[in-house]
Amino acid sequence: MTGRRYVGLAAGLATLLAALPLSTIFEQWTWLIQCIIAVVLVEAAGTLARTLRAPAWGQLVAMLFGLGLVLTLLFPSGHELLGVIPTGGTIVHFGQLLSQAGTGIREMGIPVSDQQGLLFLTALGVGSVAVCVDVCAVALRRPALAGLPMLAIYSVPVAVHQDSVSVLPFIAGAVGFLWLLVVDNVDRVRRFGRRFSGDGRDIDAWEPSPLAAAGRRMAIVGVLVAVILPIAVPGMTTGLLDRWGTGGGGSGPGNGNGRGGTVNLWALLEGELRQQQETDMIKITTKDPDPYYLRFGVADDLSVDGFRNRQPSGRTANNNLPDPRKGDHAGVSYYEGHASVEVVNLNMALLPVYSEPTRLQKVDSTWLYDSRMNVIFSNRSTTNKRRYEFDYVRARFDPAALRRADPVPANSDIRRQFTSVPNVEGVAKEVARLTEGKTNEYDRVRALYDYFSIENGFTYSLVAKADTSGNAMVDFLTKKSGYCVQYAAALAWMVRAAGIPARVAFGFTHGSKHEGDTYTLTSRNLHAWTEVYFEGFGWVPFDATPSTYIIGSVRPGWAPNVDAPENGLPGNGPTPDPGGTVSPGATHDPLDDPRLEGGSDLSGGVLPGTGGSSRWPWYALAAGIVIILLLAMPSARRVLLRRRRMVRPAIPSDVAVSEASDQPRVVVAGGPQAARARLDAHAAWEELIDTLVDFRLLVDLAETPRTTADRLVREAGLRDATADGARLLGRAEELARYARVPLLTTDLTPALRAVRRALGIRAPRRTRWQAALLPPSVLQRWRSTAITWTATVLETVGVWRDALVRVLSPRRLLPGRSGR
Amino acid sequence: MTTQRTLGELGEPMSNSEFRAVTDSIVANIEQVIEGKTATVRLALAVLLAEGHLLIEDVPGVGKTKLAKALARSIDCSVRRIQFTPDLLPSDVTGVSVYNQETHDFEFKPGAVFANLVVGDEINRASPKTQSALLECMEERQVTVDGTTYELQVPFMVIATQNPIEMEGTYPLPEAQRDRFTARIAMGYPDAGAELAMLDVHGGEDPLYALQPVSDAATVRNLIATVRDVHVADTVKQYAVNLVNATREAPDLRLGASPRATLHLLRTARTVAALDGRDYVLPDDLQALAVPVLAHRIIPTAEAQLSRRTTDAILADLVHRLPLPTDRQQRSPYDTRPSHPEPTDYRRR
Repeated sequence: MTGRRYVGLAAGLATLLAALPLSTIFEQWTWLIQCIIAVVLVEAAGTLARTLRAPAWGQLVAMLFGLGLVLTLLFPSGHELLGVIPTGGTIVHFGQLLSQAGTGIREMGIPVSDQQGLLFLTALGVGSVAVCVDVCAVALRRPALAGLPMLAIYSVPVAVHQDSVSVLPFIAGAVGFLWLLVVDNVDRVRRFGRRFSGDGRDIDAWEPSPLAAAGRRMAIVGVLVAVILPIAVPGMTTGLLDRWGTGGGGSGPGNGNGRGGTVNLWALLEGELRQQQETDMIKITTKDPDPYYLRFGVADDLSVDGFRNRQPSGRTANNNLPDPRKGDHAGVSYYEGHASVEVVNLNMALLPVYSEPTRLQKVDSTWLYDSRMNVIFSNRSTTNKRRYEFDYVRARFDPAALRRADPVPANSDIRRQFTSVPNVEGVAKEVARLTEGKTNEYDRVRALYDYFSIENGFTYSLVAKADTSGNAMVDFLTKKSGYCVQYAAALAWMVRAAGIPARVAFGFTHGSKHEGDTYTLTSRNLHAWTEVYFEGFGWVPFDATPSTYIIGSVRPGWAPNVDAPENGLPGNGPTPDPGGTVSPGATHDPLDDPRLEGGSDLSGGVLPGTGGSSRWPWYALAAGIVIILLLAMPSARRVLLRRRRMVRPAIPSDVAVSEASDQPRVVVAGGPQAARARLDAHAAWEELIDTLVDFRLLVDLAETPRTTADRLVREAGLRDATADGARLLGRAEELARYARVPLLTTDLTPALRAVRRALGIRAPRRTRWQAALLPPSVLQRWRSTAITWTATVLETVGVWRDALVRVLSPRRLLPGRSGR
Repeated sequence: MTTQRTLGELGEPMSNSEFRAVTDSIVANIEQVIEGKTATVRLALAVLLAEGHLLIEDVPGVGKTKLAKALARSIDCSVRRIQFTPDLLPSDVTGVSVYNQETHDFEFKPGAVFANLVVGDEINRASPKTQSALLECMEERQVTVDGTTYELQVPFMVIATQNPIEMEGTYPLPEAQRDRFTARIAMGYPDAGAELAMLDVHGGEDPLYALQPVSDAATVRNLIATVRDVHVADTVKQYAVNLVNATREAPDLRLGASPRATLHLLRTARTVAALDGRDYVLPDDLQALAVPVLAHRIIPTAEAQLSRRTTDAILADLVHRLPLPTDRQQRSPYDTRPSHPEPTDYRRR
C-alpha cells in the first residue's frame, strides 16, 4: 500500500472516530453503519481518482460523486434509473428527507430514534466531512486543517445536549485526528528517503521515530490537558465529573445518554429558562381547583459548592406509594385529586407528579419510588412521549398547627441528613439576625421566608448563574438579585442553618396556558422551591421567589405572599382562613401584570434592563471596548516608552567633568552626572532605533552607532541640522558606550525630535499609520519576550523531565550501560 | 608573550595634541615618498606603535620596500635591512659567535635583527630554516645564540615584504611565522593622480635620500606608552573576543585566529583610535582592522577555496554579520569584576 492510500485510509477512519460523539444523540446504531458505508465509498472514490492520477479537483469531484451514490443507494426514492442513477425524483426525495430532518431536530428530544430524515442528514454530514478531511489530508497535504471539519461533528452533540457531553467520544475523535497527523508525517519521512535505525538497520514497518518523540508526547499531554483541565476548573465540575463518575454504572452499555437520574437539575433548569424559545413540555389535566406545583426532583445534598441532586434509589413505585394521611395529623386537611399527564417534550428519568402521589396508573414497573426524596424515577425508561395518570393527596397545613409542631429530634436521621450545612460566615450571621427572638420552628422559617420580599430589595433577574455555592449565596444575599435557583437554595440553606431540615424541590408551576382543566406547562414554567420538614407534618413547601415574577405562583396559607400588601405580613399571625387552604389572591394572575405581557414569566427577558435579548448589545459593546483596548496596548506602550525616554529632567550644568579630548590622563568614569548622561544617550539611541524599526528602516545589529547614524543620514536623505542631529545621537551613544566619559551637558531631545519628524515625513502614509497604531518595535519586543519565555519554560520542563527519567528509568539499573 | 618592558622604560605618555602632532608629522614625512596611500601609511605606523610587526604583501613594483624604508628613515633610530635570499643563513639574521684570537674567546657578532627597525625584503625567498630565525626575536624580542640570550631594543619592529604572485623559488611563510605578524597590508596600485605626481617626484633623484627623520626612538617609546593608555570598554573587548571566536567557528575556515590575534587586534585598535584622536576604542576600529590583522592568519577550507572565496571576503562577511555586544550581554561569564555603577530607575524594559 502506498503512502498516500494509507493516509486516505487514515483519513476515513479518523472521520469515523470523530463521528462517534453522535452516538449520544441516536438511540440505535443504524446511523453508524450508514456512515461507515458512506465513508468507505467516499474514500474508495478518492483512492480510485488518485490511482488514475486525477488532480486535486478531480479527486474532490470523484468523492462527491461517491457521496451522491451512497446517499442514492441508502435512501432510495424508487425513481432511480437502474437503482443507482439519481433522477429528479431522487432530488425531491432528498429535499423531503431534509425537511423531515429539520422537523425532527425541532421536535424530538435526545436520544432520537431512527428517523429517515435524521439518518439522511447524518450520512450527508459525515460523508461531507469525510470528503473535506480527505481533501485536506491527502490532496492538499494539510492534515492539520482536517481537524476543523472533525470538530464540526463534535459540535453537534455539544449543541444538542443540555449540560455536557461525555468525554470518551471526544478522546476517540482526538485520537483519530492525531493518528491522521502521525500517518501523514510518517508518509512525509518515507517520501524523503529511507529510514534507518540508530544501528544502521533499515526500518520498513511502522516504528516510532525518536525524532517524533517530542510530538507524540505533546499530543498525549495535549489530549490529557483538554480532558483534565475542564474538570479542574470550578463550575464545570457539575458536567464532566458527574457524568464521568456515574455514566458507567447506571445505564446500559453504548447508551451514554445520561439516563438514570444523573441529570444535573440545576443545569437543566438554567438551560431551559435561558432558552429564547419557549417549548411546550407537559400537558396535565386535573380537576383540582388549586393545584400546587408539579414536582419531579429534589436536591438535598449540600456542600460548600451548593446543593446537588443525588442518585435516587428505591423500590417499584406501583404499589409502594405511602399514604400521607396515615397517622395523626391535627391541623392538616387533605384534598384528594386525580391527574392525567401527557409528556409532550421532556426527556428525563424523573416522573413529574403532584405531591403526594398515592397511586400511579399506566406506569410500567421500571419506575421506582424513592421514599427519602419522594420522587419517582427510573433507571431504564424516560418520560419521553409518555402518558400516565395518578392519584394524589394535597395537604393543606394550618399555620397555627405548624407553630405547635415539636422540634425535630436532634438525633433523628432527618435532622442529621437535612440540616448539615457548610460553615459560611455571611449566611450564618444573617440567619442569626433574622431568627432572633423567634420561639418556634415555624416562626423561624417564616422569618426567613418573609425576608425575601421586594420590600427588602429582592428582585428577579436571570443574569446570575445557577450556582448555589456558599460564595454565591453570600453574593445573592448582598446583591439581592436572582431567580428561583437562588431564592430556593438560599431559603433552604438558611433554614438548614437555623437547624431545621430543608431541601430544594424542582418542578413546574402551572403556568398560564390552560383550556378548561388542562394546563400546558412549558419550559418557562420550570421552577425550584424550598421544602421544610416539620415533625409530624412532613415536608411543607415554601416558595421564596417573589410571586410577582412567577406565572402560576401558588401561595398557600402557611407561606403567604409576602409582597401582597393586604395579608401575610410577618407578625400578622395566621391568615384569616383557619383551614389554611389558599389565601385570597395567592394565585397570582400574571396577565394582570403589565410587565409580564406575552406570558413569558421566568425568562425575565422582557423586564427592562435585565433582559436576555437586550443584553447582547452590551456584551458586544464590552467586547468591542476590550478589543479596542487590546489593540491600543502596543501604541500606548510605545507612547509611554517614548515619553519616558524623551521627557527627562534637565541635567544640572554645574558638573565640570573635563572632556577627555585634551587630557589623555585617566578621568574618573562615573559620578552620577556621567552615569546619567550615559543613560540619557542610551535612551535617546534606543528611541532612535525603535523609530527606525517603526518606520521600517533597516536596523543592523552588527552596525556601530556611528555607522548607523551615517547610513541613516545617507539613506533617509537627512540634511543640515537633522543630519547633524542624527550624527550627534550616534556620537552620544558611542561615547556613552565606549568612552571613559560620556557626552555631557548636551540635550539630545531636540535632535531626536528633529530626526523623528524627518523620518516620519519621509515614510509612506501606511507605514506612518502602522507606526502610530501598531508600532512594530513594541510588537517585535513582545514577540521575542514571549519566545524567550516559552523557550525557558520548555528548557526547564526538559531538565525536570530528564531528571525524572533518570530517576525512574529502569535502564539505570542495568550493569555496564552507565558509560553510554 | 610580549616584551616585559615597564611603562617607565617606555617613557612618559604624551597629551593628545602632542601625540597627534608627532604622528601627523611622521605620516606626512612618509607621504613625501609614497603618494596617495595615507590609509596604508597610517596602518603601518599603527603597527609600529602597537609594538607589532608588519607584513607588506603585494605585486612587485608598488613600493613595498619604499614604504618600509621611508618609515624607517622617518624615525631616527637604528635600521637594518636584510635581503632574504635562498642561501641566507639563520646566523646572518641573528648574529654569530666568532673566535677572537686576541682574547682567545668566542665573541658575539650581532646579526641584522639588532636594530629598532628591521626591513626584511622578499622574506619568502629565504628557506624555512632562515625564516625560523625570526620566530624568537619577533615574538620574544630577544635572540638566543649559543645559550646566551640577548635582548633587543625598544622599539623593535620587523617590516617584511613578500610577493604573492611569484611562486617559483619561494618558501611560503609557515603559520607560526604569519601569526607573529600583527598585520598584513597590501599596497595596491596608486590612483591616476598619485601616479602622475610620482612621475614628477621620482623623476629626478629618489626622494628617499632626501628624507629627514622627524622623530626618534625615545619619542616612539613615548608614543607607545600613550597608546597603551587608550581606554577599551568591556563591550569592545567582548566584541574583539566574539570576532575572533567567530573566525574559529566559521564553517568556511579551517583555521581560525589565535588568541595572539585577539591581542594584536585590540592593541592595533588602540593605536588606530589614538591616531584618530580618540582616547577610547570603537567597534568601528575593530571592524576596520579585522581584515588587515586577521586575514593572513586564517586558512579557508578546501570548499571555500574551490568556490574562490578569499579570506578577506570571508572576514568581511563575518564582520557584517556579527552583532555588537550590547550593554546587557557584554560581560564574559568569567568576568567577576563589578560593573560600573548605574542607577536603575528607568532602564527597565
